[in-house]
Amino acid sequence: TVQTDILKEYIAQKEWVYPPEAHMRIIRDLMIFCTKEMPKWNFISISGYHIREAGANAVQELAFTLADGFTYLELGKEAGLDVSKFAPRLSFFFNSCMNFFEEVAKFRAARRIWATVLKEKYGIKDERALLLRFHTQTSGASLMWQQPLNNLVRTSIEALAAVLGGTQSLHTNSYDEAWALPTEQAVKIALRTQQIIAEETGTTDTVDPLGGSYYVEWLTDEMEERAYVYLEKIESQGGVIEAIKKGYLQKEVADAAYRAQQRVENGKDVVVGANEYVDQDERPIDTLKIDAAAQKLQIERLRKLKEERDITKVRDSLRRLKAVYKDDAGNSMYEILRAVKAYATLQEIVDTGREVFGEWREPSIL
Amino acid sequence: MAGAIHSVDLPGGQKLSISSTKKVRILVAKPGLDGHDRGVLILCRALRDAGMEVIYSGLLPTPEEVAQMAIDEDVDVVALSLLNGAHLTAFPQVAQGIRNRGDNNIILVGGGIIPEEDKPLLEKQGISGNFGPGTSLATIIDHILTRVKDRG
Repeated sequence: TVQTDILKEYIAQKEWVYPPEAHMRIIRDLMIFCTKEMPKWNFISISGYHIREAGANAVQELAFTLADGFTYLELGKEAGLDVSKFAPRLSFFFNSCMNFFEEVAKFRAARRIWATVLKEKYGIKDERALLLRFHTQTSGASLMWQQPLNNLVRTSIEALAAVLGGTQSLHTNSYDEAWALPTEQAVKIALRTQQIIAEETGTTDTVDPLGGSYYVEWLTDEMEERAYVYLEKIESQGGVIEAIKKGYLQKEVADAAYRAQQRVENGKDVVVGANEYVDQDERPIDTLKIDAAAQKLQIERLRKLKEERDITKVRDSLRRLKAVYKDDAGNSMYEILRAVKAYATLQEIVDTGREVFGEWREPSIL
Repeated sequence: MAGAIHSVDLPGGQKLSISSTKKVRILVAKPGLDGHDRGVLILCRALRDAGMEVIYSGLLPTPEEVAQMAIDEDVDVVALSLLNGAHLTAFPQVAQGIRNRGDNNIILVGGGIIPEEDKPLLEKQGISGNFGPGTSLATIIDHILTRVKDRG
C-alpha cells in the first residue's frame, strides 16, 4: 500500500503542501487510476496512528480515522466509482497503546462501525467488501528514554492487543525508540517479538478470541457509542475538511495532548521508570550513528542524475503535469508517472503543484 | 527596576513566585523541516497559563524567518524545538540571525531530541536549557523565568 491519507496530515502529522481540495483531487485521481489500472493495489492507508501519537485519545483516534475513511468513500463515490468495487481497497492504519482492553475494543468497534455504515448507508451487500482491513503500529509515544528495556515489555503488550484486536499486519517498535533510529539489534528484537507471538502463543489461531468477554463487549459498545458522538459532531460542522479548516480536529488533538501531559506531570498517570520507579543513575545506551557521508552520497547521486537525464523530457512532462493540474477533470496520475519516468525529482513534481495550488497554512488553534 | 511580586501556577500544581514589571514575551518555534508539533503546542499552552505572552511561529519557518519574527515581535525569549537532529545547524542559525539584526538581548532556550554531547556546543552559542523528553513543564518555565530575571 501507499499511505496517501492527507486528512490525517492536516489533523496530526502536519506534512501537507497544498490546500485540502488540491490534495483530495490528487487522491481522487489516484483512486480512479488504481481502480482501473491496478485493482489489487491498496492505494490508501487511512491512518489513526499519527492522530494518536499527536495526543488524541483512543475514542478520538477511532472516530477521526473513520471520519476520514467515510470522507474518502464519498470522494470515490463522487468521482463516479462503484463503492462496492473500491471500498475493499481502502485499508486502515491504527495505533496500539498501553491500555490493553481499550485498544482491543477500539479495533473491534472500528470494524463494526465501518461494516455497519457500509451496509446501511451505502447498501453494500458483498460481505468481503464490508471488511475493515488494517495495519497496526505499536505506540512510539508510549516508549520512554528512561530504562529503555522496559519498552520491550510495552511493545509486546501493545503487539498482543493488536493481534487480539484482529490486525492484518503489524509493526513493532524498537526499545531504543525514544533515543534514536534503532540499532540492528533493537530491530531484531522487535521482529522476534512478533515471531514469538505468532509462533509460540497460539493467539493467532482463533478469530476474535476475546469476543463474548463481558468486559470487552461492554467496552466495544462504549467506544462505538462515543465514536458516533464525534462522527455526528464532525458531520454537523460540514464534514472533515470543514472541521479541519476551522481547526476543530487539530484543537481536539492538542487539548487531549495537554490533558495527557498534565496527568503524567501530576502523577495521576503512572509511567513506570519515568515518573515512578525511577532509577537515579540512568546511563546512556549505545545508539545508531548515521554516517555523515550518507548526505554527501545522496547529493552526488542527485547531481549525477540531473546531469544524465534528458532535461527536455523532464520539462515537457512537468509542463503537461501543470496543464492537467489546472484542469480539474483530468487525471494527474498519468502525467505524474510520465514525469517520474523522465526522472523528474520529487521536488520538481511537488513544486509544479505549488505553482498551481499554492501552499496551505493551518489555522491558529492556540 | 522595582516591580510587583506575583505568583505563577505551574502545571504540576506548584507555585512559583517571581517579580517582574511586565509579562515575558516569548516566541516558540521549530526552525526548519520538523512538523512534529505536539510538544510545542503543549509548551505554548503552559507558557500562556504561566502568564507569558506567547507567539507561536507556525510550521516550517526557516531559521532566518524565526530570527525576523523574534525582532518583529520584540520578544524577550525565543524557545526553539527540534527532534530531527538538525539542532546544531538550525539553532545557531537563529541565534546568528538575531545577532545579524542587531539584537544581543534576546534569550534563547532550546529543547527536543538533543544528545548530551551537543548541549555544551549549543550553550556556547547562548542557547540554554536544551530540555529532552520527560522534562516537566515546571522545569522549563522556571528556567525561562530565571534567565529573564538574571538578564534584568
